[in-house]
Amino acid sequence: MLYIYLWLFPLLAGAIAWILKNRTLNRTLVLSHAALHLGAGIAFALPESALAARFGIDSLSIWFFFISSVLYFAVALYSLTQKQSLSIRQSGIYTFCLMAFVASMDVANLSRDLGLIWVFVETTTLASAMLISFEHRKQSLEAAWKYLFICSIGIALAFVGILLLVIAMPNNPSLTLDTVLALSETISPFWLKVSFVFMLIGFGTKVGVAPLHFWLPDAHSEAPAPVSALLSGALLNTALLPLLRMKSVMDACHLGNLASQLFLVLGLASMFIAAVFILKIKNYKRLLAYSSIENMGIILIAFAMGGWMKTAGMIHIMGHSMIKAAFFLCAGNVYSIFGKKDYDKCSGLLGANPPSGWLWLLSFMFIVGMPPSPLFVSEFFIAMGLLKSGYYAVLAVYFILLASIAYGLGRASLNITMGKPEKHVPLPFLQYLPQTLLLLGAVLLPFLLMYLLN
Amino acid sequence: MADILLVIFGVSLLFASITNMLSSIVRILIAQGMILFVLTLLKTTEFNAWEFAFVALETIVFKTVLIPWFISDTINKNGIKREVEPSVSNFFSLGSMTAIFAFAFFIALWSGKVNQNLYPLHFGIAFAAILKGLFIIIANKKLITHLMGYLIMENGIFLLSLALGSQMPHIVSLGVSLDILLSILIAVLFLNKISSTFEDVDSDELSTLRD
Repeated sequence: MLYIYLWLFPLLAGAIAWILKNRTLNRTLVLSHAALHLGAGIAFALPESALAARFGIDSLSIWFFFISSVLYFAVALYSLTQKQSLSIRQSGIYTFCLMAFVASMDVANLSRDLGLIWVFVETTTLASAMLISFEHRKQSLEAAWKYLFICSIGIALAFVGILLLVIAMPNNPSLTLDTVLALSETISPFWLKVSFVFMLIGFGTKVGVAPLHFWLPDAHSEAPAPVSALLSGALLNTALLPLLRMKSVMDACHLGNLASQLFLVLGLASMFIAAVFILKIKNYKRLLAYSSIENMGIILIAFAMGGWMKTAGMIHIMGHSMIKAAFFLCAGNVYSIFGKKDYDKCSGLLGANPPSGWLWLLSFMFIVGMPPSPLFVSEFFIAMGLLKSGYYAVLAVYFILLASIAYGLGRASLNITMGKPEKHVPLPFLQYLPQTLLLLGAVLLPFLLMYLLN
Repeated sequence: MADILLVIFGVSLLFASITNMLSSIVRILIAQGMILFVLTLLKTTEFNAWEFAFVALETIVFKTVLIPWFISDTINKNGIKREVEPSVSNFFSLGSMTAIFAFAFFIALWSGKVNQNLYPLHFGIAFAAILKGLFIIIANKKLITHLMGYLIMENGIFLLSLALGSQMPHIVSLGVSLDILLSILIAVLFLNKISSTFEDVDSDELSTLRD
């Protein structure tokens, strides 16, 4: 029933956009969808809310849903002032795809049925591939094709993983997480392991963990700024969720160790790949995309350690989503000011447009984990956890990689913001507000999490 | 009957390793679609009427008619060369297919022990088809061949889900949804656009975005 509610508005609004063909109306539809969405997110997150219990939604789902609704609202605000180069027909398709994209993520976030989650992760691929290819340039088509093809193979492998999970439970006719967990003692360990590996490869492709990340920098750098923000901040989380759910199944079947080791290896590999490329490349949107790969790696490491580190992981997920979305929206501002995508060709942002410059610098400081960024807290606790569990070598590598990534991002950020501006370029107020709100939210939301966990 | 069909399905995978023509891979896809359709018919008792109609219609309409037709149409329209042009030799391809079969049946013997609903021959062929699909994608450069590899992989996944149909009927419909959604989008939207934007549909062409 809940899923019908979630899809009702996008479908109706899509039909309205199709019939009435009006650009302003389309933008209003997106904004009202985002506002309703935010309302639903708050209603779920309220501590005394009976709503979540009524629909059988757990705290993990609420957290992911809430993050995506804040992000979506910020993106909708930002999109209000975007120059409309799209034709009316394209604008209608864009509106519908954006809403369908968000609605698919919602179902995947809120559901506890692995089959349903899988179907809607697949639907996100379709909707977002349309959004990425929207500019119809050679590059964006290439990015969309790679995204679609690589993620399709990934999602097919994830389905093989689900089929293998069914094989592992001969007497179970359901894929709901509760049934799977209840039957954990009867699940065949061998098939569960194989199934987990397939799902890790499948959903991991969509999360963008190295070495399965090849689509990610292309898609994030070629999509329009609001879409990049949603891809990086919300979609990666949605794809991560089934992996976290499967980790809990592995834990229940006493195979948590294997899952942790796999998470740890993939997490470190992601951080390593990100560090190497961040030091090498010049395109600032790709830099941000690689930084997403890095942060997904950090989150995997947090969940690999388990226990109270999971809370650090949850904070990191939230912090990364908010800050990275703000960063991508700032990148949109930078692109509209300079019209170039390489950071060594842009300089003087602080002079050309001071608010964007400051937001850019703040986003940079927050993403590398300087206080009061929530990432400081999570990265600190992850380091503590590694120290306590005796993973000294991992800890050393973790710090070296974090430092080199901070250096690479810092070099690019300072290059863009400092220097003499050519001219002053004003931008509309709504192109600063969403980033400010997101950064503020990032600082304040960990307190909400503490409150929720109590 | 089902056994014979499964063996023919397996032979079609071997044939895919040695053929040099794109059109024969299309024919293999058509044959596989038909086999899957008949296998679905044989399993009628396990589904309710609606699910059965949905699955049967999908296999016959999408797998057997629409997608193969669309692929041959794309080949004709865009003047794609009719050879497969794999990066590995036929001999190597056939050898690895044999290894894939051996591996898949090795695993299949295990699967039969754990899950009584599963029939080793069925599992082995399905798993081999999935791996073969991946192999085709890796060993070729042409985008159209990638697509065919993906479709063979999907056929394998469908076969595997069919094997589990008696335990969990709705899993087959899930597999079907994978088919419908992805094949429509990949085939109709992208290949048309990509082939009109890029001169030759080859994965080497897709290299403007790199680090």
